[in-house]
Amino acid sequence: MTPRLLNDREKKTVRIAGIGVAIYLVLFGGYEAWQHFDQKRREYRALADEARDLRQQTLPYQEKVLVVKKLMDEFHLDPARLKRDTVVSDASAAIQKAAKAGGLQLGSIRETPAHSAGKTLASVQLEGSGPAPAVLSFLAGLNIIGYPLVVDSVQFTADNRPGQVKMNLIILILDFDQQQEAGHA
Amino acid sequence: MKINSLLHPPPVFVEFGPGWLRAQRGLERVELPLECAPSGRLTGLGKEKIIAALKDFNQARNWQPRARAWCAISSRGVSVRRLSLPNGNKEEFHQRLLLQIEAEFPLPPGELAWGCLPLNQPQPANGAAGKQELLVAAVKKDGLAEYHEILQAAGLEPVFILAAMARRQLCAPPTGSFALLDIGTTQSELTIFENALPAASRILFWDGRNASQPEAADLNALAQGIKGIQGLEAGLNGTKLFVSGNGIAREFTERLTQSLGNGCQCERLEAGPVDSGSAALAGLAKFASPGAAPGLTIRLEPGGSNGSATRWAAWDWKKWGARAGALVAAALILPYAEALLLTPHLQRTVAAFKTEAKRLEMIDRELDFLRNLKLSQPPYVDLLYVFSQSAPPGTRFDSLSLNSHGEVSLRAAFHDGQQVADFRNQLITSGFFTNVVVEEQAPTPDRQRVTVRMSALEKPAPQLQLASAMLAMADRNKAATKAASPPPARKESP
Repeated sequence: MTPRLLNDREKKTVRIAGIGVAIYLVLFGGYEAWQHFDQKRREYRALADEARDLRQQTLPYQEKVLVVKKLMDEFHLDPARLKRDTVVSDASAAIQKAAKAGGLQLGSIRETPAHSAGKTLASVQLEGSGPAPAVLSFLAGLNIIGYPLVVDSVQFTADNRPGQVKMNLIILILDFDQQQEAGHA
Repeated sequence: MKINSLLHPPPVFVEFGPGWLRAQRGLERVELPLECAPSGRLTGLGKEKIIAALKDFNQARNWQPRARAWCAISSRGVSVRRLSLPNGNKEEFHQRLLLQIEAEFPLPPGELAWGCLPLNQPQPANGAAGKQELLVAAVKKDGLAEYHEILQAAGLEPVFILAAMARRQLCAPPTGSFALLDIGTTQSELTIFENALPAASRILFWDGRNASQPEAADLNALAQGIKGIQGLEAGLNGTKLFVSGNGIAREFTERLTQSLGNGCQCERLEAGPVDSGSAALAGLAKFASPGAAPGLTIRLEPGGSNGSATRWAAWDWKKWGARAGALVAAALILPYAEALLLTPHLQRTVAAFKTEAKRLEMIDRELDFLRNLKLSQPPYVDLLYVFSQSAPPGTRFDSLSLNSHGEVSLRAAFHDGQQVADFRNQLITSGFFTNVVVEEQAPTPDRQRVTVRMSALEKPAPQLQLASAMLAMADRNKAATKAASPPPARKESP
């Protein structure tokens, strides 16, 4: 059975319908493609805005980094490298080493752990004696021995020996980690 | 230099002859046949071939401006007249010139391509406007328009000059009267110059194929042809005749002089150090040099009133429309293409920023910690220095206590109460202390000294910093004064 041949009118109808379908497909496909690419573009714009904001946030840090570097150089100290477990013993050893190097005779040394809520790890009470210039040098050099130390109190008394001074210091060792947590809170 | 040559492409020199076209660009040269219909007009196919060949020869890029084409046209069909016009404003003068051209030339100005060369500066006399002398050269527009069309289509900007004017450039100081004879294969061109300006020009039909072999050439026929030109025979007597042409030898000019026998001296026209094969092309090359310009150029629209219309008509709308369309399409597509192409890179950048942001928190903490450490450092050394500077000689300190809360206490022994008062005043004026209190003052049992127990408070941190700075400055000034003052003179013992 052979299929019936289409007459001219039917051929024209089929041709017009084909053109209509083609136009619909082109328009629909084009719209879909445009939607897809437009969505991509909006995502890209959002990403670009985010990148710009992040960049704006980092700009002030160029100056902050310079200040941090200057302070680290001034104190000979890198806080990020301090180990909480050993910083007290290391600092105490460094203090005693600096005193001996300056020609001071050390007396009793007492370490006291800090209160839990404080920003200090421990305090060190130190007694010693020596010539007045050596005592002053030791006092001036305590902040550059590489540990976060603050001299809480200092007491000088006269020694019986001429030119000699007795001193009694209370030195606080600051806790970097404690400050970090306080900063977080 | 390279950019300049890109923006200003080198000129092309073109010579149009009977049935041929020669073009030269630098050292490259090409000769193309001009295919003419029986009417004398160029055939369409011939035009296309010429345009294609010239495009290939020119090698112009689309973005480059058109190269200037200096074109020499033969004097066939060209009329040269000297005109004298009363001077006036530009419009009036142009109108008068058109009327004069219409009167002097066989065709109306609209059907002519023409150019003019002012010969003098008009001098007004007795209240009347001065006369302006002009040399006008005109040719039927149709033929030149075809050449113009071909050259434009090949990407060139043509400027038409009489070939005789170009050849004249090769004559050593062209003054007075002389003649130029250019020998061609089928026809030759004779131009008479008076005061270095073309006065008349004729075409001679003479077989010039044997010009390089004077013994074989019929020079007598050529001489007869030259002498037979009506109206020019008087102008040639006793003048110099420069002869140019392909392969012209010295013997040719000598024999031509003999053949003419009217006192006219023939001389070979030297084409210059580089043999261009054509005296006209060699002469055109001289116009292209800086500062040189042909005096008389022939233009299709000399009035220039519809120049912009011509330019618009010559505008390649299809090409520029396609370029504009491409630009618009690029402007529309680029934002989407940017999103597709750059998103991965931007994602990496954002990820890097976020990683960096974690480090920034650490920097903040370190900065806070170090600032806090710096602010917590009590200025003990400065305070001890103030004590040492304030205490009078002979003072004995039994004890001195300082703490980070700013509390100061001391026990000391002075000579008398006045020294105690002075010491207290010194501490106050130093700017470091406030609330300086003498808690207890008592004489020693031997009444020789006074023991004192004092307390004080440090000032707040900003005031302490200021006081420290003042102290450092005072010390520097003191040291400078000490260094500047001369040492005390030693007293000599009697």
